[in-house]
Amino acid sequence: MAIEHTNKKYLKTIVKNVETVAPGYSLLSFDCETPLLGRPGQFVMIRGAWGVNPVLPRAFSIVKAGNVGQVLVRDVGPGTALLCNMHVGDELNVLGPLGNGFIEPKSSRAVLVAGGVGVAPLVFLMEQLVPKRVPITFLYGARTANDLPLKVRIEASADLIVTTEDGSVGTKGLVTQPLVDVLKDPNCVVYSCGPNAMLEAVGRVSMDAGVECQVALESPMACGMGTCKGCAVVKPDGSFTYVCTDGPVFVAASIYGGEK
Amino acid sequence: MSNILETTLGPLVLKNPVMVASGTFGYGLEYSDVMDISVIGGISVKGISLAPRPGNPPPRMCETPSGMLNSIGLANVGFDVFVNDMMPRLRDAKATVIANAYGTSADEFAELCRKFDDVEGIAAIEVNISCPNVKSGGIHFGVSGKPAAEVTRAVRKATRLPVMVKLSPEANDIKDVARAIEDAGADSVSLINTFRGMSIDVNTRKPRLGVGFGGLSGPAIRPLAVRMVYEVARAVTIPVVGMGGITCLRDALEFFLAGASAIQVGTANFSNPMVAIEIIDALEKYCIEKNIRPSDLVGKVEMG
Repeated sequence: MAIEHTNKKYLKTIVKNVETVAPGYSLLSFDCETPLLGRPGQFVMIRGAWGVNPVLPRAFSIVKAGNVGQVLVRDVGPGTALLCNMHVGDELNVLGPLGNGFIEPKSSRAVLVAGGVGVAPLVFLMEQLVPKRVPITFLYGARTANDLPLKVRIEASADLIVTTEDGSVGTKGLVTQPLVDVLKDPNCVVYSCGPNAMLEAVGRVSMDAGVECQVALESPMACGMGTCKGCAVVKPDGSFTYVCTDGPVFVAASIYGGEK
Repeated sequence: MSNILETTLGPLVLKNPVMVASGTFGYGLEYSDVMDISVIGGISVKGISLAPRPGNPPPRMCETPSGMLNSIGLANVGFDVFVNDMMPRLRDAKATVIANAYGTSADEFAELCRKFDDVEGIAAIEVNISCPNVKSGGIHFGVSGKPAAEVTRAVRKATRLPVMVKLSPEANDIKDVARAIEDAGADSVSLINTFRGMSIDVNTRKPRLGVGFGGLSGPAIRPLAVRMVYEVARAVTIPVVGMGGITCLRDALEFFLAGASAIQVGTANFSNPMVAIEIIDALEKYCIEKNIRPSDLVGKVEMG
């Protein structure tokens, strides 16, 4: 996808709210004096004023932009634990918006397919599409009922189909199963974010149905803006593409091969 | 900004002694919508080779205690794209460009540096004989004096630009390598590049980097870097550029006291893209307050 002129900024922000939205998942809101710009699918690099360790900021999809920014943090290690345990009033440094966002559907339905914490950019996309009256089907898969942060927020705005691997809520199984049914009407665009294995499966199901699919990838990265070259992903032809500047949103076929 | 911070490294005059280290600041342009990159003392750009290089298979980086490992493998756009696409914009931005040069042989280094010689707006060449992430060249030239001197001599003959040679901490004896490159005509010496490290995911039992090993950088290596800067500064007469885990004014002062005439900020650029400018501002304030210049601090550690 083309590189957007993102007008990124390095913002000194203040934590406004930390809400536990599921066990181990926090929705972090921060006040930005200069508004955080950004479109669904774009991301920010975030780091608190915690000294030298951990050294690196962490990359998060934007859940909400503007004077109050929002990201969804899953506590998976020392850096994310520090972020989940921040307090109102703490200093938070935010670099963004970075990368390329989702391209909105022209006239058709939008099918949003989320896996766990990958729900973050899709909630932002949903909240942009709702006022435009774009019909939305939201598929949300997770391991358990405890891994469905922001589920309530989605239910308020869109038709939601939930799957869990242990069957603790929704249909037992993987999110690709209901997706096959949803794509029987191929007049739609699929937007997806979640674990890599899920994204590949969603990409393949979409391509098989002849539906355009955009996936937002995740990768470890140090800079978020194309300087460290740490976030390389191997394309089907063996060449590298970079999640931060070429993505994080890619057309599924460009990453997983096969037809569009 | 006043000229209290002006720094001379042999033939190279910098507006201040705070540079950014190669591989941690891209080609500089990526940061130009976040800050005024002309303020930075020198931008050592991502290592450039004659031909573009794709780099190593991912994952290419992971975080470690107070540091990070990378195995990027000198992924870069190559000389032509750098000169044709990046340099005009770097000149417009009035950036002080240090071209970090990488080759797989002394001849290739010479050819590359000869080409840099004709490019307008390059302040100096930093000769990379210390990258741990490439199969040929890189660190292999930097581990002992003889190959290091051979590359330096070839580069010296090929260019009139100031030549800074960047050393590896994995040299058998870094003082020997420093003396060898000084004798071979280097104008200054920069150190340290990264240490080879390894991190293993205990769940998958696989290395956390695609190629197994990578270069360790960040505050974790700072005491090692300070010691080596101290040793090298006493072994050579050319100016020393110190780096390794610098994150703030205090860290920069530590390197000046150890013997560095200038410093480079590396991994900390990822923590905070403004950090080099923040250090420049803090250093200026410090020097005004004490009524000194940074050069007054160089090598002034008191060993008791």
